[in-house]
Amino acid sequence: MNFGYLIVVAEHDSVDYLQLAYGLALSIKNTQQQGYDRVAIVIDDKTKIEKLTSPWVFDHVIEWSQETFWDGRSWMDQLTPFDHTVCLDADMLFVQDHSHWIDYFIDNSELYVANQVFTYRGDTVSDRSYRKAFDKNNLPDLYSMWTFFNKDSQMAKEFFDLGRSIIKNPIEFSNTFLHQHKPKVLGTDEAFALSADILGITDEIAYALDFPRIVHMKPMLQKWPWPADTWSDHVGFYLNKKGQLKIGNYQQYDIIHYVEKDKINKEMINNLEEIAWKL
Amino acid sequence: MTRGILIYAHNNRTVDYALMAIISGGLAKKNLQVPVSLITDISTVEWMKESNIFNHATDIFEHIITVDRPATANQRHLNDGQTGQMVPFINTNRNTACDLTPYDRTLLIDSDFFVLSNSLGEYWDIDIDVMLGDAINDIYNDSRTGYLDRHVSDTGVKMYWATTVMFSKNSNAKLFFDTVNYIKENYSQFADVFRFDPRQFRNDIAFSIAKHILDGYRQTDIGSLPPVLSALDKDILHGVNGNTLTFLVDYKFTNSYCAAAISDIDVHIMNKQSVIRHKQALLELI
Repeated sequence: MNFGYLIVVAEHDSVDYLQLAYGLALSIKNTQQQGYDRVAIVIDDKTKIEKLTSPWVFDHVIEWSQETFWDGRSWMDQLTPFDHTVCLDADMLFVQDHSHWIDYFIDNSELYVANQVFTYRGDTVSDRSYRKAFDKNNLPDLYSMWTFFNKDSQMAKEFFDLGRSIIKNPIEFSNTFLHQHKPKVLGTDEAFALSADILGITDEIAYALDFPRIVHMKPMLQKWPWPADTWSDHVGFYLNKKGQLKIGNYQQYDIIHYVEKDKINKEMINNLEEIAWKL
Repeated sequence: MTRGILIYAHNNRTVDYALMAIISGGLAKKNLQVPVSLITDISTVEWMKESNIFNHATDIFEHIITVDRPATANQRHLNDGQTGQMVPFINTNRNTACDLTPYDRTLLIDSDFFVLSNSLGEYWDIDIDVMLGDAINDIYNDSRTGYLDRHVSDTGVKMYWATTVMFSKNSNAKLFFDTVNYIKENYSQFADVFRFDPRQFRNDIAFSIAKHILDGYRQTDIGSLPPVLSALDKDILHGVNGNTLTFLVDYKFTNSYCAAAISDIDVHIMNKQSVIRHKQALLELI
């Protein structure tokens, strides 16, 4: 089995995406079983990795600068060094082992995209504040932050090829397919959803499963009785020296998409490093 | 394995909780076909004797267990339809239920919870050590219940309702009730962490947080009794006709009333004075 996680980072003025990816890679090393814990990073300059305290958490470093910012993720199928890959957003954390699920996907799926997310309290997200383009245009509710694919899959190739075309030609695709509600930015989620819809493969790549369970920390999703701009104004984020994470009064057991990029600070990185060094 | 029901009743100068417990205990005993015991205090027993209801109590309760009257600074505004008043609320000793119950498996109910069906009888044999009322179900509809009827705070944990609690007398339940006691004794500190209003001790909050902690600081689907159907204290119990109870429901909280009726279903009646007004008809149901 040649499986691994892929993280694509981009240069950004105010966010150190490499630090986020480093935190995520550490959390994968700390929680996933051997053989299910390999991580590849795609970055524009390999030398940046050498400045990390533990650059070995990245099993593969792929230097690539063809695209900017998040557009790079749509090239995941061509960038991955693995036969079977889960591509993740950088602002995520693992807190427990999910390795057994990877076997399921390798055995049963060529391509699978996360299609439901949860609040920090474990409730299924029902708020649609951020998904108007999906609802108005009847797009499948895909979350590209967790995408599994088999590199040899023809279906995955067609899906990613079309996704790239959509991202490259947002106006044309919006005018043709998203006329009920044109998103301000046609991002990877919208591109993947539209690609799946056009190819008619939604039922094959986004059927109901108990995994992945991803806690999505966009503030309006949290089912609070008032609107919120910033979730950390309202609940705390506590990552302890064992790598256990509490958000508010809730211990987290699922994959966390923490959204606010400043949540992974140097102290938390240090906690994760110390765990990794003792493995 | 012995089964039974447990009710706490400590009278204050306004509400005759002992009489409520007699009605509640009698209905539970009749409809669930198990014995009932009362936890009370000497002054409440003296009141029962003075008001000639002690013979009812001895008929209904298998054990009348007297304990020290818990000290409390709890005050609560209790409505009786359109009127209301502040009354002392002596309810801070529920954490002793596991130690005091004479039964192996106990259904602990509030004295204003009236068992008119056998639905809770289906839970005696479930192998879960502590189970709590899952939620409140308003007798009118959801429009009268708010976020803080479902959560202990805006960002905090799910609110269970300690109106109904079923537990086994074992070490796990003992741990649960000890945790409730710890939360009670450190209520302000827990209010800081769990963000609830600490001014009045609420069993519902202490029990909900104890469950949350012992479930691993997460919400689970395990350990729920049916939601507690509730008539709020702005509602008025209007009549008792066999197993049918009729209510006047203040459906918008604007002193505008509509009629409602329930039959053969358990109900939590928060307007205690309206229960007292129908004591004769309710006692006849037993």
